[in-house]
Order: sequence, then structure tokens, then C-alpha cells
Amino acid sequence: MQIVKLPKENLDKFMGGLSKFGEIHAPIKKDENTYLFSKIEDLSKIELNYNRTILPPKKYFLPPNETMFRFSPEKGYEPPQDNLNKKYVLLGVHSCDIHGLKILDLVFSGTYVDNYYFTRRKNTSIIGVSCIPDDMCFCRSMETDFVEDGFDLFLSDIDDSYLVRIATSLGDDMVRANQSLFKEVDKEDIAEYKRKSNERKNYFKIDLELYNLPEIMDLEYESKIWEEIGEKCLSCGTCSMVCPTCYCYDVFDQLNLDGKTGERRRQWDSCLFKDYALVAGGLNFRSERSARVKNRYFHKQRGFVAQYGRPSCVGCGRCIQSCPAKIDIVEVMTKIRSASYE
Amino acid sequence: MAKPKVGVFGMTGCAGEQIVILNCEDELMDILKVLDIRSFHTAMSENDEQCDLDIAFVEGAVVQPEEEVWLKKIRKRSRLLIALGTCAVWGGVAAMKNEVSPQRLKDEVYGPRGQIFKSIPAQPLHSFVKVDFSVSGCPIEKEQFLQAIASLVHGDIPVLPKYAVCTECKLNENTCLLVEKSELCLGPITVAGCNARCLSYGIPCCGCRGPVEEANIASEVEILKEKGFTLGDIRNQLRTYAAPAEVLQTYFTKR
Ligand code: SF4
Ligand code: SF4
Ligand code: SF4
Ligand code: SF4
Ligand code: SF4
Repeated sequence: MQIVKLPKENLDKFMGGLSKFGEIHAPIKKDENTYLFSKIEDLSKIELNYNRTILPPKKYFLPPNETMFRFSPEKGYEPPQDNLNKKYVLLGVHSCDIHGLKILDLVFSGTYVDNYYFTRRKNTSIIGVSCIPDDMCFCRSMETDFVEDGFDLFLSDIDDSYLVRIATSLGDDMVRANQSLFKEVDKEDIAEYKRKSNERKNYFKIDLELYNLPEIMDLEYESKIWEEIGEKCLSCGTCSMVCPTCYCYDVFDQLNLDGKTGERRRQWDSCLFKDYALVAGGLNFRSERSARVKNRYFHKQRGFVAQYGRPSCVGCGRCIQSCPAKIDIVEVMTKIRSASYE
Repeated sequence: MAKPKVGVFGMTGCAGEQIVILNCEDELMDILKVLDIRSFHTAMSENDEQCDLDIAFVEGAVVQPEEEVWLKKIRKRSRLLIALGTCAVWGGVAAMKNEVSPQRLKDEVYGPRGQIFKSIPAQPLHSFVKVDFSVSGCPIEKEQFLQAIASLVHGDIPVLPKYAVCTECKLNENTCLLVEKSELCLGPITVAGCNARCLSYGIPCCGCRGPVEEANIASEVEILKEKGFTLGDIRNQLRTYAAPAEVLQTYFTKR
């Protein structure tokens, strides 16, 4: 992979030049401790030193709610009005979130390829940025603290500059279009990069041990721990909404008053919702809250591993930060492990 | 197919639901195209009080013995009875002080003049009659009302969100006032449908739409106590809109 250097004083010029490649979206500060990806009109609003955004970048590819098509007896089915082909540049994506997108790619490219998702994916370039973990990050445990593909450019902070990894020809075009802003990488830069990478490892405060976890989950299927968490959980759905790898959605028709025309919509869903597992005839195979919480963890750490060979959690810490009941995935998994090994 | 015959009725409340319906200015003509409105006192001068109805929309809580009789009569006339608004669905603000005797409340508010009418503890419609469907909200959301009509006209029972306000709050990417700012937010136990209206203005949810299905009151109370709120504060907030709700009754009588 080709690596070049972008001195920080050139960052604004570089970011400004990116608008040629699409509408720029990047993290901005929302509140004291919260950030979100947003359309950028003023480059000075971009916040590249952030911990995590409230919603992950999945919102750009699988929007929280969208119209899939409109229908009417006269015109039949019509495509949605929003332009799926619009170009975007998503700037400032963390390694864990890029892994999150790679996981969604796996899911949506299965037997039935999701063209809504992939059209947006194809039209959005990704520029990653390095980060300093906080006390809720455990991407290192999930092997998502470093990323080798899934981006066009990746910016790694080495104090007065960024080392820029170029991963695609589009990324190369972005650099070439602004060639004068970039410099060659020298030995000191590499040394600084290595030093930073090593130093970063020391910042992790929490760890989720993956070894044997799927088997442990099976062994602890009937554990009392699930009921304890079920007592605390509010089924509020927050943890699924904020998760970069939760991909469940509900599909429904929204009728107009004439009762004939309308649109088919989809919206994020969550296995924590009581009606998620409600089927025709009124049967609900996960009517207990404890069964639903358990399902969330099983899907992430057991079911997904069986299907795709890796857990679907990327260790971003969003569910830890935002669960009102302070249910913490790392604590839960650690408890489950110790139940098996004590 | 003939248009469904409809009545809109108000028990005790602020008439907010009826105002929301009348505020559907751009849609009123379309509503009239699909519904045959036979009775709607707030909006029409000629009302049919006897005919059979297909749908009765009823707002407000029952706070007088006469209202109970009237409600039962409406129920008899109508194929479907739909509760509109938090008062009709949960009892609403009128039920906030149900533990105090109606006599004492009446004396305090109306003095001797209160003698001319009777009052009973405020109750939602389902305490007296079968309710086929509920659209909660204080007041109801216009979009939900229109959705409900569209589904009913199509012959379906409407499907409205059953999840909590938090979900909509997150879909709108709001900063969590409960987690980040330790404010008293009832979003986790309140049913969605308002698109997290208050949170999007930076105001905590006070639960005006009533409890979500299977609301985990015990956990919400624990969370709020840990943030420093007293049980009194929490109870007052919880009982503002839906005091008669079974989840709340059970929680508070158990204690
Ligand atoms: S489960 Fe939690 S930590 Fe893991 S990816 Fe989802 S939100 Fe992030
Ligand atoms: S089943 Fe649950 S945990 Fe799995 S993707 Fe869906 S919402 Fe997320
Ligand atoms: S965020 Fe917490 S309380 Fe809400 S559904 Fe998830 S685990 Fe339950
Ligand atoms: S602010 Fe309230 S409604 Fe929004 S996520 Fe937090 S607890 Fe839920
Ligand atoms: S956010 Fe809460 S208080 Fe505000 S409208 Fe919605 S349910 Fe009512």
C-alpha cells in the first residue's frame, strides 16, 4: 500500500478539495461528549478527534427509515424519489466502524443482494482516521483496532502530520488531485508512526476475551445471568440502533388516505422489541425480556460466528455508552465466561 | 363500498384530539372523501345521535357517571371503538390524583358550587367498554391519526409503533439526556410515535404518550434513583399521564 504524508496545516485545503468527489460528511460535535456524522458546510466544524458518533456510519447505507418504492393501481411500482446515485465522501471513519461496514457488506451480499445498500456503498468513498481509545473501546479484543481495506484513504495522526495510506484508485485520485499538499514519508515519520501505534495499545482499559466464547455461550444458555440482565433491560432498543453491525429492519406498507396508493418502507428494528419475534397466530418465541437480551448476545457472539466466521461486534463501545440500564457487553461476556470456568 | 359511518366524541379532556383532527387542514377534504362523519359536535352543527356507526373515535377520560352511560351507548352503536389520546387510553392528567377522594377534590376546586354535579375517579375508556384500538398521545400525533384512518378504510387494524421513545430518540441521533446529563427522562418506558418530539428540542420525555408495552418500571426507577432523584419525584412524573395503568399500579402497590 502506498503511504504519503499530509502535514496538518494542509488538512483544510485537502478536505476542501474533496468536495469534487462528493458531498462531504464528517463527525461534528453535538454536545459535551457526543458527536455525529453530519453534512459539512463549514470545514472548521469537522472534529477528527472524537471518541464515537451516536449513530454509526451505517446510517448512510441503511438509513434509519427509507422508502423502498411507491405503489398505485395506475402506475404500479415506482422507485423511491431520493437519488441513490448521489456521491458522498465520508471522512473521519474509525477503524472499528470500517470493520462494521465490512460486516454489513457480508450480510447484504448474501443470497439476496441488497441493491439499496450496495448502490449507496458504491457511491460513497471512505476516508478513515486513526483514534485514541477511551474506556469503553474494546476494538483490540475484537481485532478491529486496525483496518487494511474497506477505505479509500486512511489518515493516521503522527502529531504534526497524518500518514495517509492509499488503498484504492479513487483514493489515489484524491491524493493526485491535491498532489502539492502531500509529502514523501521519511524514516522519522515511520518511527513516529510505530511509536504511536505501540503507545495506543496501552490506552485500552477493557478487554473481551474471545477464546472459546461461542462454546461458552452454548454451555451457559440456561444461565441465570440472562434473567438478571432481563430484569434490568428496558427493551428500549437503544443498543441495536447505535450498533454499527445490527442490521435488522422491519418492512411495512404506509397507505395514503385513499387506501389504494402508498409506499413500502423499511425501518431499523431490534430483537429487543417484544413484537420482533411475534408470528402469525399470536405466538411469540421470545416473549420474555431475558430471552431477547440473550438473543442479542447470542447473535453477536455465537450465531454470527457460526455463519460468517467472526463475531459481529466490533468493540466500538456505543452500546456501553448509551444503555440507560448500564448493561455492558464486556461485563456480560466476562460474567458468562466465569460462570463456565469457575 | 359505502363509506364507513363515523362519530367523533369527547369525554372529559382538553379536546386536544378533536383539535388535532381539525388541524389536518390539508387532509380534511380527503378524510371526508373516505369517511361519512355523522357526529362530531366540535365541528358540526347537525349530528345524528342514533344511527349505527362503523367507527367511533372517543377522546377524554370518564370522570362522571353520565359519561359512563354515554360511552356505553356509543359502544352499542358502533362496530369499532377507538380511543384517541392519552386521557382516553390511560386516564391522562385527570387521573393524576385518583388516590384522593373525588369529593375532596371537588370541594377544593369548586367549593359549594361543586354540589350540582357528580364525579368519579378518572378512568380510561377500557375500564368501562371494550376498546378495539388505541391511538395515544397528549395530544395524538396527526400522522398517526391519518395512518390509522388509512388502515381502517383499507380494512386493516392499524399498526403503530410498540417500541419505546428511546428508539426514535436514537433514530434522530439525539444526545441522551438520561445517560449524558442525568435528567429525569421517561423515554425508555414511554411508547413511541411522537418521533421523540421533546428530546429533539432538548427537553426530557415526561411520558405523555403513556407506558410502552411491558414497561420495566422497576428498572427505570432504579436508574433514576441512582441519578439522585427521590422516589417522590419519580412517582409524580410517572403518574402524571397514566396513573391508572396496570404496570404503575402494580409497581406502586407492591412497594
Ligand atoms: S455490540 Fe456494542 S460494542 Fe459491539 S459493535 Fe455493537 S454497539 Fe459496538
Ligand atoms: S438480531 Fe438483534 S443483535 Fe442481531 S442484528 Fe438484529 S437487532 Fe442486532
Ligand atoms: S440499551 Fe440497554 S436497556 Fe435498552 S434494550 Fe439495550 S440492553 Fe436493554
Ligand atoms: S434522552 Fe430519553 S428518550 Fe432519548 S435515549 Fe435517552 S432516555 Fe431515551
Ligand atoms: S417525547 Fe415524551 S413527552 Fe414528548 S411528546 Fe413524546 S412521549 Fe410526549
